[in-house]
Amino acid sequence: MPSIELNGLTKKFGLLTAVDHLDLVVEGGEIFGLLGPNGAGKTTTVRMLACLISSSEGSAKVGGFDISEEPTKVREIVGILTENPSLYERLTVRENIEFFAEAYGLYDAQERQDRIRELLDFFQLWDRRNDKVGKLSKGMKQKLAIARTIVHKPPIILLDEPTSGLDPESAKGIRDLIADLSQRENHTVLLCTHRLEDAEKLCDRVMIINRGRRVVAGTPEELQDRIAGEPTLQVRLKKTDQAILRAVKEVEQVREISVDDTSGTLLIAVDNLAESAPEIVTKIVYAGGKVLEVNIHRPSLEEAYLKLVREEKS
Amino acid sequence: MVMLVFRKDWREIRRNWQILLPIVAVPILISIVLPTLIIVTPSLSSISGPPLENSTSMMKNLPSQVREELAGMSAWQALVYVMSLYFFAPFFLIIPLMASSVIASDSFAGEKERRTIEALLAAPLSDSELLLGKMLVSFFPSMIVTAVSFAVYSTVIDLFSFSLFGGRLLLPNLVWIMLIFGVAPTIALAGIGLTVIISARVKGFREAQQISAILLIPVLMLVLGQVSGAIFFGPTVVGVLIGVFVTVDLFVLYFGIRSFKREEILSRLA
Repeated sequence: MPSIELNGLTKKFGLLTAVDHLDLVVEGGEIFGLLGPNGAGKTTTVRMLACLISSSEGSAKVGGFDISEEPTKVREIVGILTENPSLYERLTVRENIEFFAEAYGLYDAQERQDRIRELLDFFQLWDRRNDKVGKLSKGMKQKLAIARTIVHKPPIILLDEPTSGLDPESAKGIRDLIADLSQRENHTVLLCTHRLEDAEKLCDRVMIINRGRRVVAGTPEELQDRIAGEPTLQVRLKKTDQAILRAVKEVEQVREISVDDTSGTLLIAVDNLAESAPEIVTKIVYAGGKVLEVNIHRPSLEEAYLKLVREEKS
Repeated sequence: MVMLVFRKDWREIRRNWQILLPIVAVPILISIVLPTLIIVTPSLSSISGPPLENSTSMMKNLPSQVREELAGMSAWQALVYVMSLYFFAPFFLIIPLMASSVIASDSFAGEKERRTIEALLAAPLSDSELLLGKMLVSFFPSMIVTAVSFAVYSTVIDLFSFSLFGGRLLLPNLVWIMLIFGVAPTIALAGIGLTVIISARVKGFREAQQISAILLIPVLMLVLGQVSGAIFFGPTVVGVLIGVFVTVDLFVLYFGIRSFKREEILSRLA
């Protein structure tokens, strides 16, 4: 049974359609990335899945529970990290997490304390447990917010922009923690982000949405291939000439060649790169080319994403 | 779960000077500072002449029942008696109203302003548990402050009246008990209900507090009515006030509960 299942889920705010007939299936234990620019409908989708707002059309099941019919059941099995940390700044670290632990049903005091200790140790916040949250750095607040999100060991976690507003080092720290946690506790994670790095490094599959609609979905590698094309072979030579170019064109799988004059690099688009690359290099050498470097260039998900968003705008 | 929300909000309020300051300062002003300035200090200088003739319009418009109570008193005693038991009565309605609406503004609109509401609403707490927890945290402290203010005021007045009236203690009496334990809770609930309705529609604490101050208008009218002698806080008036505010409570709380919807609250986040 899928952990999260959306069937034509739609949300309208007056005339604006924030989420437009979205279909999506997230399997158990999977980290699924919902990617898109600001205003794409990511937060609205997460809010509907967390039963914070109702849908206008369509349906969704979270952990097998329908979000419209059993919202309390859904809330019990979901942990949500909202776009803002949503922490009580006048309360201490411990008071914050204790409140949510109890609110999510950890009534047994010993069990609650053990879980809080485990999480605060894991997030390196135990020494700050009696400090008011207002005194914590942004990165620490985000760690605490994630600890709060998983305090009741929810099988399903919704993370809305977990690294937003953090410096690169803190963002990496949070990413590593999420990866580590999802392995340790086997959560199903729906990760909303506009940071490609997050999706690339964390997600098993991603879906790009824009203006509330699904644009494309697949593994990060599939999206890179599908959107930005196959990888290209890059051969940097000491010197290029027509004889070398003719020799390369003789290889059957070669589709296109271009030359970067500034670096003396041949950019070769080919079918079946793994098989044709050795043949191309051999041809270059026989044609008198002096090879300095050979690389396979795969466009990053970021390049793929930017290309897609540009296409959507035009 | 209701008490969980209550405890959490109570901890926050205790650490927020923006909330504590008016809740502590206004009762001190009403129960200690004003009585000392208006009743105790002038009384230290003697007032001569026949009773009631050298005083305010309130003194001149006293109902016959009160005049009977003043029979045999000196001008000084009559003035102290009327000021202590009647003049200050409506001021004590300001305390529960102000305290409840300040706490409720912070508890409802303040959570929206500080953006803590989303995680709270995502928790498996029902709307009624959340609403009740937040109403209790607005209601109990305001009632405690009102009761403590009343105890302090009674002590101040009795310390003074003990010597002036030959060992007689003026407070507490039936009207004041009805006022503090009958009118004050109903007025506090009205303040909370109105603030819940307002908080659902505004983005921040201050905005909610400013708008909920509108409920002070009828209370200030009661103060003016008392000062001008148009109304007197006898048992009948206080009984009528309880009835009026119970009716207001029913309306305001009904609409407050209806307006407390997760989606509505989130759609108006700052």
